[in-house]
Amino acid sequence: MAVAEHPTRLENPITAAMPPTLLPQPCVLVILGGDGDLAWRKLLPAVYNLNVDGVLPSHFAVVCFGLPSTKEGESGDADEYIRSRARDGISRFSRQILEENHWNDFARGLFFVRGSFNDARAYGQLKAKLIEVDHQFGIPGSRVYYLAVPPPLVETCVVHVRDAGMVADPEEHVAFTRVVVEKPIGKDLDSARDVIRVVAQAFAENQTYRIDHYLGKETVQNVLVMRFANSIFEPLWNQKYIDHVQITVSEEEGLVHADPATGEVVASRVGYYEGVGALRDMVQNHMLQVLCMVALEPPYSLTPDVVRDAKSSVLNCLRLMSPDDVKRDVVRGQYIEGDVNGQLVAGYRYEVREFFKSRKQPIPPKSVNSTTETFVALKLYVDNWRWSGVPFYLRTGKRLPKRASEVAIQFKDVPPVLFNAHPDVPLEPTVLSLRIQPEEGLSMRIASKLPGPKLRIYPVKMEFNYSSSFGDQTPEAYERLILDVMAGDATLFMRRDAVEAAWRFCMPILEAWERMPALNLPEYQAGTWGPIESDRLMESDGRTWRNL
Amino acid sequence: VTSAAKAPVADEQAPVPLDEVEKELSRQLRLLQKKDGLVHRVRMSNLIVVARTREEANRAAGDVPGIVAVHPARVLLLVALPGADTSGVTSYVRVRGHETGHDRQACTEQVTLEAAGASTLRLPFAVRSLLVGDLPTNVWWATNQPPAMGGPLLAELSERVQQIIYDSIGWLEPARGVAATAVWLTHIDRDGGAGRWRVASDLNWRRLKYWRRLVAQALDPASAPGAIESIREVVVEHGPHAVVQAWELVSFLAQRLGWQVLTGRVQPNVEIAWRFMAPSGELRVRIRRLEQGPPEIRRLRIECALQGQPAALELLAQGPNRLATVPQGVGGAPRTMTVPPSTLAELIGRQLSDRERDPVFTESMSVAQSLARSVLG
Repeated sequence: MAVAEHPTRLENPITAAMPPTLLPQPCVLVILGGDGDLAWRKLLPAVYNLNVDGVLPSHFAVVCFGLPSTKEGESGDADEYIRSRARDGISRFSRQILEENHWNDFARGLFFVRGSFNDARAYGQLKAKLIEVDHQFGIPGSRVYYLAVPPPLVETCVVHVRDAGMVADPEEHVAFTRVVVEKPIGKDLDSARDVIRVVAQAFAENQTYRIDHYLGKETVQNVLVMRFANSIFEPLWNQKYIDHVQITVSEEEGLVHADPATGEVVASRVGYYEGVGALRDMVQNHMLQVLCMVALEPPYSLTPDVVRDAKSSVLNCLRLMSPDDVKRDVVRGQYIEGDVNGQLVAGYRYEVREFFKSRKQPIPPKSVNSTTETFVALKLYVDNWRWSGVPFYLRTGKRLPKRASEVAIQFKDVPPVLFNAHPDVPLEPTVLSLRIQPEEGLSMRIASKLPGPKLRIYPVKMEFNYSSSFGDQTPEAYERLILDVMAGDATLFMRRDAVEAAWRFCMPILEAWERMPALNLPEYQAGTWGPIESDRLMESDGRTWRNL
Repeated sequence: VTSAAKAPVADEQAPVPLDEVEKELSRQLRLLQKKDGLVHRVRMSNLIVVARTREEANRAAGDVPGIVAVHPARVLLLVALPGADTSGVTSYVRVRGHETGHDRQACTEQVTLEAAGASTLRLPFAVRSLLVGDLPTNVWWATNQPPAMGGPLLAELSERVQQIIYDSIGWLEPARGVAATAVWLTHIDRDGGAGRWRVASDLNWRRLKYWRRLVAQALDPASAPGAIESIREVVVEHGPHAVVQAWELVSFLAQRLGWQVLTGRVQPNVEIAWRFMAPSGELRVRIRRLEQGPPEIRRLRIECALQGQPAALELLAQGPNRLATVPQGVGGAPRTMTVPPSTLAELIGRQLSDRERDPVFTESMSVAQSLARSVLG
């Protein structure tokens, strides 16, 4: 289903022939939850970097909204409070160092409105502030609302924003309104539909940008370029030549972030992660989105909905698993104490207990012996002509030996004749590997003759490294995505049908786990590549996970 | 942006026979690898730099490390000197290493080819043997003459390249330069046919990117309804040597907004003025030279109506890294835009990756030609 692209906007004759993605439109970025963790770590540093890079429109401002999370924010000048918090976040997390010259310019257009998310009057104050900022910066009433709030607050915010008359008609041709919705979009299919419905109460689908920051990464976008801008790959990109695909997203980090110097806990994601787990946190969104880029059919154009149609088609072709399939093809695990990078780290359940202890809250019964998976590996199939019979192996986990994300396309073996005639020394298969992080780039492993009179074949790697060729200053994913929202380009955002299709695929797994005894949750030592069952999943197919 | 290149590992002043250049490049790379460990040979393009005096050559050579730090390339620096014929082409070789992040080192190569008099026409032959196959080839015309006056050397070099980069800053006869270049550009576009892709890029146009964006946003009908239709006068002020930059900005505005030039008048070193017919009536444009300051546009004043009353938009350079629109006659804060600092080398480095044909540039240059005709008579 293709939805309408963007309504005809009032055309600027000066920019009429220029590509729209290069032209973010004048607007106010309204961050609901603007002094929260996401804004502090990611959003405000991203906007600062966009300012430094000179890609923001001249007619632009940021207005943050929410109840201050610190004591200092509760009184005094609200704008100064958010500026001080933003400055702190930028100093710590920004890709580019904070320079006074840029900071002063950025801070001049940064404002804060204090208010509770469920206080209608506060939205009235927000509206008044936005009108004032519009006038001050010559902004025609256009808004990007960024919902940087916990999932239970999404409905409250959306309804109040609508009731305060702060959403322009989607067909309005002077001022636009767009909303950015963060993950998680629900905890299952039903709750995802609820989130979608809730947001749809105020915003049309073409005003809604469901963000998945993985899609903002350069290397993920490069998958499409590599496939469709090079003539050699696409003819081989199917079940005739590809043996299997491996997608790995591994993280060294656990759920608790400690200061490396003092060992003191500085942040914990346990509150969010407990009861959610790796399947919901990584597979349902990031990994299936990456899989879509690898598996989609050539879109007939690069317009947002054509690309998104192609991605939805992949998700609709995912083979749904029976309970027996889940038992056989899906492995989950949870880390226990181990060693990561030479440091002894605690197990997940310990971190959960400590989290509740630090909050002086009783541990919920379900979390006493938590069965939340911090690792998942699975085999899935895309049941269409191109991918018939080609397994896709996905694995992701926390507290693995290193941070590495990649897609590896392993091609079929050459026939067992000539150079591959000795079954005891089989040739290494050809592998195309797309590294998403770190050291973004791609490599291809091919067989080559070793020099000398004897015929010896050895696998060699051809490498392309982003930083060697293009330098080391690749914009952060959030920078790219915020810019896309301002430019009205939804290509890299998830459409509602894609969200639902991804949940439809995950639901049989979640339901099967729900029914399975929790005792079956395998454990793995922190600093290893997951439970042994993950290796067995591959070995049972005569394959192995790649060494990353 | 990667760090600046390190010092060369070999003395550039020792000439190398032309047929030994590749061997010497490999030798220097091995030396660098011994010294600095793992060093990758990275080349995204061939860059042929053309200089016509030693001063130009030295200036260009000084920019090469900055260029290859942004865009790794094999650089062929051609020094085509006037005067008596030399016996042939003399070549020098230099390999540079630079850090690329993640503790990696990359190296790029520079070959300097020098000739004088009639021997300069042998330079394209030397170039052909040194180009890295399967990579885009660019020419940087590193002189202060318009490329239209590049003669047979530039014509020959341009034959099989994908991009010709030139810089219109500091042209001595702006009107003649603009007129001749506009004609030359149509040849570049036309003769690049038959499946061959070729573009010409003026660095001054690239410098104007943020001014063009700022003016577009200042006059956006959503932010300033009715402003475009009510423009009565435009004044552009520029520092010394930036008259072509101002000229290109006026041409851009005229092309985008459908203004037809009526008359033009020059007061040398002071002002150039035009009268235009816009769809909504007649208007005046003046570009004024400031006595001092950097060679760039400093201010653009647009007299128009805002919120239904006579007003003006002042577009200003606010320090080295920021432009601002300041509305006058109505309230409001300055609307600012960061201009990332960019040296000439960085500008060229970025231009090397930017090979798309820009129809707005071509069309604006066509208008620039009309403006030139109006003042040349």
